[in-house]
Amino acid sequence: MKGIFTVLVENKSGVLSQISGLFARRGFNIDSLAVGETERHDISSMTIVSTGDERTIDQIEKHLNKKIDVIKVRRLDEAQTISLEMMLMKVSYNPNNRASLIELCTITGAKIMHVSPKHIIIELHNTPDFIENFIELVRTYGIVEIQRTGTISLEKN
Amino acid sequence: MITGAEAMVKCLEAEGITRIFGYPGVAIAPFYEGLYNSNIEHILVRQEQAAGHAASGVARVSRKPAVCVTTSGPGATNLITALATAYADSIPVVAITGQVSSDLLGKDVFQEADMTGATESFTKYRYLVKDVNDIPRIFKEAFYIANTGRKGPVLIDVPIDIQQAKLKKEFKYPDKVEIRGYRPSTKGNKQQLSKVIQAIRRARKPIICTGGGVILGNGEDHIRRFCEKFNIPCVSTMMGIGVLPKAHPLYFGMLGNNGKPYANRAIALSDLMIIVGARIADRTVPTPDKLESQVKIIHIDIDTAEIGKNLGPTIPLVGDVKNIFDELIKADIQPKADSWIEELNEIKHSTIDSRVFSDKLVNPNTLVQLLSEKMDDDAIYVADVGQNQLWSADNYVMKKGRFLTTGGMGTMGYSIPCGMGVKMYAPDKQVVCVIGDGAFQMSMNELATIKDHDVPLKILIIKNRYLGLVREYQDKTYDGHYSGVELFDYPHCDKIAEAYDMPYFHASHTDELNETLDQFLACKEACLMVCDVDWTDNSK
Repeated sequence: MKGIFTVLVENKSGVLSQISGLFARRGFNIDSLAVGETERHDISSMTIVSTGDERTIDQIEKHLNKKIDVIKVRRLDEAQTISLEMMLMKVSYNPNNRASLIELCTITGAKIMHVSPKHIIIELHNTPDFIENFIELVRTYGIVEIQRTGTISLEKN
Repeated sequence: MITGAEAMVKCLEAEGITRIFGYPGVAIAPFYEGLYNSNIEHILVRQEQAAGHAASGVARVSRKPAVCVTTSGPGATNLITALATAYADSIPVVAITGQVSSDLLGKDVFQEADMTGATESFTKYRYLVKDVNDIPRIFKEAFYIANTGRKGPVLIDVPIDIQQAKLKKEFKYPDKVEIRGYRPSTKGNKQQLSKVIQAIRRARKPIICTGGGVILGNGEDHIRRFCEKFNIPCVSTMMGIGVLPKAHPLYFGMLGNNGKPYANRAIALSDLMIIVGARIADRTVPTPDKLESQVKIIHIDIDTAEIGKNLGPTIPLVGDVKNIFDELIKADIQPKADSWIEELNEIKHSTIDSRVFSDKLVNPNTLVQLLSEKMDDDAIYVADVGQNQLWSADNYVMKKGRFLTTGGMGTMGYSIPCGMGVKMYAPDKQVVCVIGDGAFQMSMNELATIKDHDVPLKILIIKNRYLGLVREYQDKTYDGHYSGVELFDYPHCDKIAEAYDMPYFHASHTDELNETLDQFLACKEACLMVCDVDWTDNSK
């Protein structure tokens, strides 16, 4: 199963490595990790997506809570959550497939950020599943490089 | 205004610290200058690891945080094993390490080691002090974190320039701490508590399993009263030895693969297992999944993360052992029938110990039994690691004293520095360290510290010229291919004793034990005793 956590932490050096170290040491997976400051400078928010069985996800929550620099841990219900991720993608193209690539971007809402003679850079923000699907669609064109931000999530209510 | 170093000393004084264990170096020199003008006694150990173990011993017996201090770099890294040991056993040790000057951090200068990074997985929390004015707050927090919730070691790394800098304001030690990410829960959840009471009420064959957490939470008396009131039998892990005396009619020994077969049998026959302050590690329950499916399990622990880590409990309950058992003792539960206790007694008395020991030298089981029977009722027995530890745990006759050992990390050479700290804290109590000839050679440098400070510690070496537990493992697993485990003849312990002006006792046969142990225990000063044990004797 998937576990989505938003974790409020002290915004100070070493905290990110504590959290990633915890996952490494205890053998928990990190599928995605996004970190940023909150509305308060002294608090950062992390969104961590992990997979594992119920006991593992439960243990992750407990071990996160145990960290003294962790202020609050919330485990989000996927159905009750807005999750978003941003991706930048460099794709190679040729005169024959350029039009279809642009069309694909239009249909999916992806933005073309830069065009050079051989490549275009596409930006897409959407749900992680949507982005995965888009990557598969573009794969045949020739993906040169991808950068993804990791998932950020907010509960609807 | 005072310096950071002086503030550090004042913080320790404010915490009631009167003795610390350490090893100085340049990076911690300002702090030692501060100590020079203080009443805090400094014990110079002979290697930094011993400072950590000695503090651990004091913390365990005083039930309060104890302090060790080292310099930066190698001094600090030498301490890591002791911190890891304290962490595994949840012992509240506060470690102070010197660090290179703030402006040189990260430049790999002489004796720089990233201690907060290196101890991330071996401490409960760590501080790198960046502002001298933070010292009072950080020390207050460190002591609080070390000694609350699930206890554990905390490291404070202080760069030399911070120790030298002056505080901006008058020194004031904070009255309280406010850490927004740290609020250990100590009161048991009411709903869970009533589920626990229900389960105990319904159980016909309940059993309680005590871990080191019961002792750390000062809950021995509560558990005893609970067992007696409701006629519930008790087994323990190695760290939980001492919650009930050995002769208690409700105590059925240590469980685990090094424990009593009848203790393990008792668990298997029970219909409800109440685990208190134990992590149920692999040595205690090798197949937790199997146990889960057989027995209803209540798991009580101060640490939420401990619950469900190794064993999925039917009813988890987070809280402080004393608070929870205060409630449980008050609960309306009918005492359990005597038939359950009788059943366990039958099993206990029909268990046959099929181990064979050499009759040429000292029988290690007889040794531990006789020694602990002869020891004072409130004596403190410190077992090292290896076969000596298993023989000790198996045969120790617990009365009203303490049984100290490192069950989590299993650090060889723990007992002598730990015992030294214990004896300094409790000079009126008899303190005996039991150690193998391997671990003795890892820690015998502390004999000098013991003599320097006139600490009448008793050290008993079980000598079999082997790293016995590994040899035993090789015997059973690798067909007797003994690889790298022989210690041969050295050192001559009588000469070691002579070198340190220590009385020396020696027993080479079980028949000699009675008299020699009497002399050893009657000796008023630090003394050494060697018992020759056959190298083929196994712990199980």
